[in-house]
Parts: sequence; structure tokens; C-alpha cells
Amino acid sequence: MSVAGQASAPAGPVLQVEGLSVRFGGHLAVGDVSLSVHPGRISGLIGPNGAGKTTTFNAICGVTPPTAGRVLLDGEDVSRLGTHQRARRGIGRTFQRLEVFSSLSVADNVRVGLEIRASWSRRRRPAPQYLAAAAGLDPERIDSDAEVALIIERLGLARVADVPVGSLPTGQARKVELGRALAARPRVLLLDEPASGLDDLETHEFGGMLGDLASAGLGILLVEHDVALVMRVCADLSVLNFGQLIASGTPEEVQSNRAVLDAYRGGGDDVAAAAAATAAGVHLDPGQPGVGS
Amino acid sequence: MSGALLELRGVRAGYGSIEVLHGVDLVVPPSSVVALLGPNGAGKTTTLSVACGLLPPTSGTVLVAGRNVVGVAPELLAQRGVATIPEGRGIFPNLTVRENLQMATFAGVDLRRVEEVAYGRFPRLAERRSQVAGTLSGGEQQMLALARGLAVDPAVLLLDELSMGLAPLVVEELYGIVAQIARSGTSILVVEQFARTVLGVADVAAIMVNGVVRSVGEPATIEAELSSAYLGG
Amino acid sequence: MDKFLTFTIAGLSSAAIYAIAASGLVVTYTTSGIFNFAHGAFGMMAAFTYWQVNVAWGVPTIPAVILVVFIIAPLFGAVVERVIMRGIEGASDVVKIVVTVSLMVALLGLAQVIWPQNESRPVPAFFEGRFVEVLGVRVSWSRLLALVVAGLVAGGLRLLFTRTRLGISMRAVVDDRRLLQLNGGRPGRTAMLSWGLGAGLAAVSGVLYATEQTLSAVTLTLLVVNTYAVAVVGRLRSLPGAFLGAVILGLAQSYVTGYINPDLTVGPIALGNLAAALPAIMLFTVLLLQPEARLRSHSVGRPRAPVVVPSQTTAVLGGVALVLALAGIGALLAPADLILVTKGAGFALVTLSLVPLTGYAGQISLAQMSFVGIGAVAMATWGANGSPVAVAASVAVCAVIGAVVALPALRLSGIYLALATAAFALFCTAMFFNQQEIIPSGSVQVPPLSLGPFTADTDYRQLVLLAVLFALIGNLLVWLRRSAWGRRLTAMKDSPVACATLGLNLTSTKVGVFALSAAIAGAGGALAGRTFTADSFSLPASLPVTMLAVVGGIGSIAGAFIGGLLLGAIPIASTVFAANAIGVFRFVAIPVRDILSFTPGLMGISLGREPDGAAPQIAVGYRAVGRSVPALVVSVAGAVALWLAARTGVVTKWGFAAALLVFVVAAVPLLPLVLSPARPEDTAEPPRRLACGLWLALATLVAVAIPWADRIASNGLRVVLMVVAAALSARVGIGVLGVTPEQLRRPVPLSPDLVGVDRPMLRADAVEATRRMGLSEDDFEAEVAALASSTNGAPVGPVTVPR
Repeated sequence: MSVAGQASAPAGPVLQVEGLSVRFGGHLAVGDVSLSVHPGRISGLIGPNGAGKTTTFNAICGVTPPTAGRVLLDGEDVSRLGTHQRARRGIGRTFQRLEVFSSLSVADNVRVGLEIRASWSRRRRPAPQYLAAAAGLDPERIDSDAEVALIIERLGLARVADVPVGSLPTGQARKVELGRALAARPRVLLLDEPASGLDDLETHEFGGMLGDLASAGLGILLVEHDVALVMRVCADLSVLNFGQLIASGTPEEVQSNRAVLDAYRGGGDDVAAAAAATAAGVHLDPGQPGVGS
Repeated sequence: MSGALLELRGVRAGYGSIEVLHGVDLVVPPSSVVALLGPNGAGKTTTLSVACGLLPPTSGTVLVAGRNVVGVAPELLAQRGVATIPEGRGIFPNLTVRENLQMATFAGVDLRRVEEVAYGRFPRLAERRSQVAGTLSGGEQQMLALARGLAVDPAVLLLDELSMGLAPLVVEELYGIVAQIARSGTSILVVEQFARTVLGVADVAAIMVNGVVRSVGEPATIEAELSSAYLGG
Repeated sequence: MDKFLTFTIAGLSSAAIYAIAASGLVVTYTTSGIFNFAHGAFGMMAAFTYWQVNVAWGVPTIPAVILVVFIIAPLFGAVVERVIMRGIEGASDVVKIVVTVSLMVALLGLAQVIWPQNESRPVPAFFEGRFVEVLGVRVSWSRLLALVVAGLVAGGLRLLFTRTRLGISMRAVVDDRRLLQLNGGRPGRTAMLSWGLGAGLAAVSGVLYATEQTLSAVTLTLLVVNTYAVAVVGRLRSLPGAFLGAVILGLAQSYVTGYINPDLTVGPIALGNLAAALPAIMLFTVLLLQPEARLRSHSVGRPRAPVVVPSQTTAVLGGVALVLALAGIGALLAPADLILVTKGAGFALVTLSLVPLTGYAGQISLAQMSFVGIGAVAMATWGANGSPVAVAASVAVCAVIGAVVALPALRLSGIYLALATAAFALFCTAMFFNQQEIIPSGSVQVPPLSLGPFTADTDYRQLVLLAVLFALIGNLLVWLRRSAWGRRLTAMKDSPVACATLGLNLTSTKVGVFALSAAIAGAGGALAGRTFTADSFSLPASLPVTMLAVVGGIGSIAGAFIGGLLLGAIPIASTVFAANAIGVFRFVAIPVRDILSFTPGLMGISLGREPDGAAPQIAVGYRAVGRSVPALVVSVAGAVALWLAARTGVVTKWGFAAALLVFVVAAVPLLPLVLSPARPEDTAEPPRRLACGLWLALATLVAVAIPWADRIASNGLRVVLMVVAAALSARVGIGVLGVTPEQLRRPVPLSPDLVGVDRPMLRADAVEATRRMGLSEDDFEAEVAALASSTNGAPVGPVTVPR
């Protein structure tokens, strides 16, 4: 197979979620959510606290069993597979509540990601090019030292490479999680609030990096509260509220919607919009023009 | 003495080696609602955890009625008039409504009184008194939680994300109750991520960003600043 | 039909006892999160206490029952919670398991000191000689009593958990501990009461069992395995599930006893012991039926210290030094002592087997001696000529069996592996080691290894062989630890869910570690080159291995060696008392040796003062010893000097015991501080090292000099006094040193009264404060009135919920 990522990039979505529902006891955390992530694109998943974003992530990567629905990776149904099997097929993720290996150093965190991948796959399938292309690494081979160094440098963590992650501030620890996930060379990456804890400048740089990753062929699903970042980097947005997908569209479509502006700025006199702002942060009227899938 | 019922001075706190609060100062005057706003991850919930005694600060002081209560166990603080309704649902999902209310009696109010207040204010709960709380609707669960805050008659009430996952109409109703509790004398600290309705009932609002309180003022003034805090401007 | 009915009723009656015991276990586990391996031992202590009160002191039955079941046992449970268990809240699973297992071993040892085994203690059945006809079968009243009590317990627990605030708050703790605190409930008090309740229920089951069956310390203590096999049916959390499990196990055991001919054999295995193996079989069946555990994100807990891995050079040098040292020491020893040291080295190998499993992967096994046994038996069967091929085969068999045993438990999480391995140990004893066909006349001779020209046919050669093995395997483990595999285990301990999302198969990784651990233990058996009794492969023999390995500091090879030495020190010390010491871990022996046998239990419990590196007196000290070379040297030298003094008759045996206790409890843990050249930070005064060292030496010498045997008649009292002396010496030692080890400082919870919040502050206080500040008085007066009237039955604007 060709080494070049672009040439082998499939045309369709890399990840499809169809009619996903997760029920905890009597509580419907996620209800009938469908979305898709395309290679080379960043899709946003937004909504207020408790809307079910993290639960959706957990169901996609197999941490939480869904009550209904399917998860397809490159058209293959992975719904019945375990977490590690899905990861091996290319689903990578970070966590809203940090799940770093806090007693290992930054470099070792990334290295473990690499080594776990090496433990089940000596040969790479045609790889995403986001790392290899940048430094001329052979994607077919796993050269851990070079790759670890590259990832750390790309994330701006070179200075703290030997520091135990447990003693890093949140923002940097989140980058370590991202680096670790990248080391497993996922085909689609689920990022759960990766920018929280970063300052404005860092967030700006981070957005640039996400763009680079995507343009190298990686599909990204981004959950983020920093609306400016979401609007800047995402090609499309899905809006979740009360576990339901209430709208989706391009950022422009979402941004031009008055309800969204009202929700985030807290302006507007419309009672419904104001109430929605409080409850949901983002609440789109599905009937409004320009929005809806 | 400032006369504030709850005051945080220079509070630093965190989890493990990760510091979340970098010196928080906050005053909650009597008979007023203070709204603590800010984006996700700013440290609002951590601030509340410090205030209710669950998380000991690494430095700084927490004053309740002018006395430093750093180091006092949260259950003792709860028995002495600081009521907290934590994030999510402040209820025990596997206990019935009545059993949940019974747990409120640890604060020194008898069950009859708690039930009187709760059912009087929320007749819906009376209908469901033997239902397991986890099967209530989100709004009903939050009412149950709020009923405790109401029934134990506290001097200080701490509320975390009352609106989370609730329909707008329910949220408005709940904040109506909050306003009423406040006007009757209780000092209330409310944490909210999205601010519209709470600004309507708040006397003072504070914006928290990256572990410090960035500004404090009239709700109207603060409202103008909000979008920049959220949109990272 | 009559036979069927008879056995059904007998089965239901034991089911009732299991159900009562299991409900106690479930209550403590759900409310405190600590699985009490000592639950059976609680029941055992209660049963013996009942015998003491009722039979020995002649107190009538009813007051005796009330005293034991309703007063002594609950108090005991509450004290255990307050003193030991509260300290391990939030600690790792390993610490929790080791502490309760240690408690179990300590109680077992204590019971055998107080009530020596050489005497039979029949406990009269309740309503002796009274029978009732049920469908033509004569049933004793006591059998029915068990059923009635079980019914009462079920009903009583139901009432407690639904009708009382206490019981409801126990359920509330399970739901949300923090929320209960925020409600003003006190989880600590709730936990204490639930431990009291659990101990009371253990006492009921223990006394019933003793009256129905037999009063035996070991049997009653190990009843915990039946109990948890039963509780697992309800996932350790559901009472109705536990009752169902009890009925299944009770009936199954009864029918097996009634209908399976004990002479029946399957291959070499006679089915006479099947009833004893049933709990294990049931446990494994239930575990297999459980769905795989869901991955749980770990909450932000105690941050773990970065792992310090020794360099390979250090490990190689350490290995060489160890071999040389043991070879040197071995050459100097008299034959009888050489045998003991060789045994000790063998145990060090077994504790080493826990390093990857417990130290690296954070899992725990309570069946290491079973794998030693399997290795030993396999070697005896296949390797009569000492062939290394047979060794390899034996080790491989252990690895495979280990993997098979661990698989069902490792799919689930945490506690289940400990449960499964303990059950496996009982299963092996019943179905394998106690089989005449497999281990004839209860002992197995492992042939010495023969490797080309070298044959380990003398004790000295055997010692050198074991030292070399320890060094090699230790180096292998260090190498593994430094490899990708070792990093992966650390990562898995830090965040299992992150590992899974990177593509790591958690179950197979853990199974691999367990197989490695079983293989090392098996090597310890296959290469032991000595005679084992079947007893030494039993569950009670495995427990000290795990406890001491953890106390020794299981994260490191050196720690494992210390653990092995501690383990080896017990038989060595016991020779001072009994020249005919045979069974190393036979708790069934004369009192003096039992003291030694329950010290590991005490050491393990001391771990409870230290949740994962936060605060122990002794455990931290012991761990520090592993890191401080001078301290290690002085500790070993001191112990050896005492031993030699006792051996040559310079000091009395009791003096030796007391001095050793003082030395081990007080001196050893403080040695690293006394001998450390560095001055601790943030201390105003330098520690008084010299004074403390002198005090410790003095305390040890005084303990030697006291004429224990002459002055104090009772064994029990002597032991108590020794323990007190040791604890006092430690306390004073810390005082003299003048520096509290950092780990000892723990925050003292403040009382609100002290800080001035001396009464509940109500809304009225807020109103008062507002008034003082001169704020809008009139505004809220109306509101107060409105609120008051609304809560008095006439609601103002009741809220309706839009659905």
C-alpha cells in the first residue's frame, strides 16, 4: 500500500455514530445521537455541562456500553468490540478528567503510547501522516526515540520531558495526553476539552496545531468550551443538549444563529433565548433556517 | 469584622500537586445571593469544595461568621449551618424521596419539619415520597436537593450548577425559590457556568477565570464582561 | 426420600449460617469499602469467647449469648474499625487486603495462644436433645434455630436499612459519601457502626457453627472463604443475592456429603474432600458468569510518588553481593542452622514472585504457596533425577495454571483476584495436596537439581543455588521493570482506562503478570530440593508470604528479600524454642512459637496506619530500612547477635523473644533516621540521634534482662506485656529522637467549637448579622413571614414541574 497519506485517504467518513443512546438506570444520558467525523477535518461537539458529550465519547471508544446504536469505523461496525480493540482499529482519545500516567515522566507517557501500539502491531497499516511527514519518519517502522522526541517537541513539552506528569499544571498535562494519544497513531482522535487550562496564547497555538494534524489526514472530534477556538478550527459542529442532538451545521451557520450569540453573550431580550442561555448555553431552535442536518 | 457570613481570603487549593485555585478572595454578605461565574475549568466547583470543607486549602482562610473554619470537617460544618448542594444532583439516587429528606435531619431539624417544608414547597415531592430518587425527573431531583437547603434553615447556602441539564423553565422556577430563600435572610453562593437567569436573582456577581476571581461587581456590570471571559477575549 | 429430606434440612441449616455470615460481610463491605478477610476470624473469636463464658466460666446460655453477640463482638468490630480500618480508607486495594488478611492471621494466632489447640472444647448445642418431626424426619431444634435466626437477621436488616436513620445513612454512604457529609452525616461513625454490626453477625454465625459443627480456630477462620463465595452471588453487595448463594452452597455441600461416595475417584483424586472444595468451585463458576467489569476512570486520588527503578548495574552488583554473602555465611553455619537458612532463602524466592504481581501491577495473590506446591509435586513426579527439563516443565505448568486461575478474576477488578486465589488455595489443599495418591503420607520430597556436573545434593549447594536463582530472577525483574513492559505496568496502575484507549488489552496483560508470578513461585517449589509437608502449601501458609512481602516493601527486589528474611526469621527464631520445629507455618503448635507466628499479622496490620506512604510508624520505617544500607546492616546484625546469644544460652528464650520484639518493633524502623547523615528539612532542632540510639539499645537490653518466665506465670499476660513494652519503647524512641518522621504527622481534625462556631447558625443569625450591618431590615421581614407561613401548610406559589 502506498505510504502517502493523502492518496490512501478514504473518501467517506472515518467515524460514524448512528442512533447512539446511553441510559444510566432511568436517566437517558445520550439519546439517539448520530454524527460523523471525516478524515482531515475537525468536527466540534458542543453543549452545556451535563449534555452528554463525555458520555458520547465513552460510548464511542467502548468505555461505556451503549443502550442502542452503532459505531462504525471506516464502515466497519465496531460496536461489539472492547475498548482496546477499538483503539487498535484507530480510535484515540483524551479525557476531560485527566487520565495521565502521573508517576511516569512526560517522555515515558508518550513512549508508553508508542510501546503499546508496538506491542500489538509490528507493522503499520498505511499511517496518518501527521507526524511522519513532518520529520521524514518512516511510518512503516516504529522508531520510538525519534518519534517520542518529535511528538514532545511538537507539543512544546521538550523542556519538561523528564518531569513526572503528576507535577505538571493541568494545561501541560492535557498536552501530554494528546501526545500519548498521537503516539498510538489513531485514525480518528476524540479530544475532550483539550484546551481547558491553557492560557490565551497557548490556546491559539493549540488551535494551529489541531489544524496541522487535521490537514495531515487525521479526523478529529473536539469537545471544547472555548467557543472562539471551536469556531475557528471546526469544519462542522454538532450541538448536544439534554443528551439529544439538537442541531448541526457549519460554524458559520451556527454562529450566524441569533440564539447561539444570545446564549454565549447573555444578550437578547427574547425570553426563550434567555432561558435557553441559562439552561443550555447553546440552544438552537431546530426550526430556524440555516441550521439542522 | 466585615460581617460577612462566608468569606474566602487568599485561598489556594488543588488536587495532588496540581494547584487549581491561585489565591481566591470572595465575600458573601448576609441575605444576599452571590453568583460565581466563569468558564469550565476556572475553579468554581473547587472554590465551593473549599468553602464547604470538603477540600482543605493549601493556604488562605475560610471564614464562617468571622471564624476561620479551615480544618473543620465538612459534616460538622454542615451541622453548624453551612448547607451545600453539590454539582450534579445533590440527592442519593438509590434512596427514596422520604429517605433523602431523612438524611437532611442530620443538620438538627426533625423529619416532620423537613417533610413539611419540602412537601409544602414542592407538592410534587409529596406525591412521590416513596419513589426512589434516581427515577425522578431532573427537575424533581433538583427540587429534592433544594428542599434540603430550604428545610435545614441554614445561615449559608452553597449551590453548584443548579441548572445543569435542566429545562429552562425549571431552572427559572428553581431560581425563583433561591431568590426567596435569600430574601428571607440566608446568604447564598451560587456557582453557574451560564449566567443569564442567576444574574436576575444575584445581588453580587463574580467572574472567575483560571483559578482567580477576576472581577466582582453589580450583576449588570459583570454581565457585560461575561462574553469576554467565555470567549477568551 | 427421608434421606433427601434429612440432607435438605441439614443443608438449609448450614445455608442459614452462611447467610448470616455473608450478610455481615456484605454490610461492612458496602458501607466501608473494605472487604474483611478477617470476618471468619471475628466469628471464630466470638465462638471461643462464647465457649469461655458459657462452658469454662459457667455463665448460663442466654446471658452468655447476649454478652458475646450483642456486646463484646460489636464493640470489637467498632474498635477494629476505629483503630485499624479508618486508617486505610482510600488506600490501594493491596493495602486494604493485606491489612485485613493480617488481622485474620493475627487473630488466629492470638486465639491459639489463648486457647491452645491441645484441648478439645465441645460447645453444647442449643436446646440439646430436643427434636421435632418434620415430614417424618427427626430434626433437632438447633437446626431450626439457625433457620429462624437467619430469618430474623434478614427481617432485621431490612427494617434497619429502610426504617432507621442509621440504616438509611449506611445506604446513603454507598450512594454518595461526600453528599452524606454535606448533609451533616458522619460517614466515620456510620462505618464504625457497620463494622460493629458486621462483627455481631459474624459472632452469630460463629457461635451457631461452633454449636452445630465444631469449635476449631482454623476451620472457623477459613469459613470466610465459604462466606464470600456465597456473597459473590450478590456481587458482594446484595443481601438477597447473598442469601440465594447461601442456599445454593449449603444444599450443594449437604447433597455432596450425602450422595457422593467418598471412595469414588476421578483419576488420582478421591472425591471425599469435594464438599470442602465446593466453595472454590462455586466462586469460580460465579466469577465466570459475571459480565466483564466496566472500566472506571480513576478519581483524582492520592498522587503516587514517581517510581524509582534501580539501574541494571546496581541489580547485578546486588545479586553478586547476595550470592557471595550467602555462600560465605552458609560455609560458617552448623548443619542444623544451614537447613533453616536454606529454607529462608527458598522463601525469599517466593516473596520475590510477588514483586511483579503486587509491586508492579498492584494485584494480590493469596495462593503463592499453592504454586510452590504444584511446582514441587510436578518436580517430584517428573524430575526424579533432577533434570532441568523437568524444572522447566514444572514452572510452565505453574504459569499455565496461574493464568487459568487468574483469568476469570482479572476480568473483574480489584478484590476478586484475592478472593479467587484464596479459594484456589483451599481447592488445591482439598483436591490435590491432601490426596493420598498425589502426596502420599502428607509429605513430598523434591529431588535436588542436577545440572551437568553440579548437583544440589547438599544443603550448602542448595543454598548457593537458591542465592544464584534469587539474583538471576531479581535481575530479570529489574530488567523487565526497565523495559517497555515495566513502563506499561506502571501506566496501567496509574490509569487503566487510558491504557485501554491506547490499545492495551488489560486482562491479558494482567494474566501475563500473574502467570509470571506463579511461574517464579513454582520455580521456588521445583528447585527447593527439600521435603515439604502438604500443610506448607495451605492457605494459612500462603498468607504470611503475601503479608511479609508487602510489609517488606513489595515495589522493590530488596523489599522482597527483606520480606523473605522476615519470613525465614520466624522458623529460625522458633528453633530457639523448639529444637523439633518442623512445620514452619503451622500455627498449630506450642504457644511460644505462636507468638512468632502472629507477629507477621501484627506487622501487616501496622501497614494500616499507613495508606500508601502517608503515615505509618512501623511500615514506613521498615521500608526506609530497605533504602538505608547502614540501617539494614545494623538490623540484621542486631537480630543475628540476639539469635546467637539465645542459641548459646546467654539469654533466656523469653528474654530473646522480648528483646527481638522490642528490636523489631522499636529499633529497626527508627534505625534509618538514627543512622541517616542527612538532617531532615524544616526541623528547628537537629534530631538527637545518639540519645535515641542509646535508648533503643537500652530498651532492647532491658527486655533481655527481665526475668519474664519467672515473674509472670501466664503465657498470655507475658505476651501482652511484651507487646506493651515494645510499643512503649518505640514511642519513647520517637520522643527522644525529637523529630517526628514526616510521615507520622497527620492533620488533627478541628472541632467547630474550638474555632468559635459553637452552635448551628441558622437563617436567624444571618438576619441578625444583616441587622447589625444596618441593611434593608424591612424588606426581608415580610419575606420571613411569607416563608414561614408557606412552610406551615399554606404554600405560597407551590412549584409545578413541567414534564
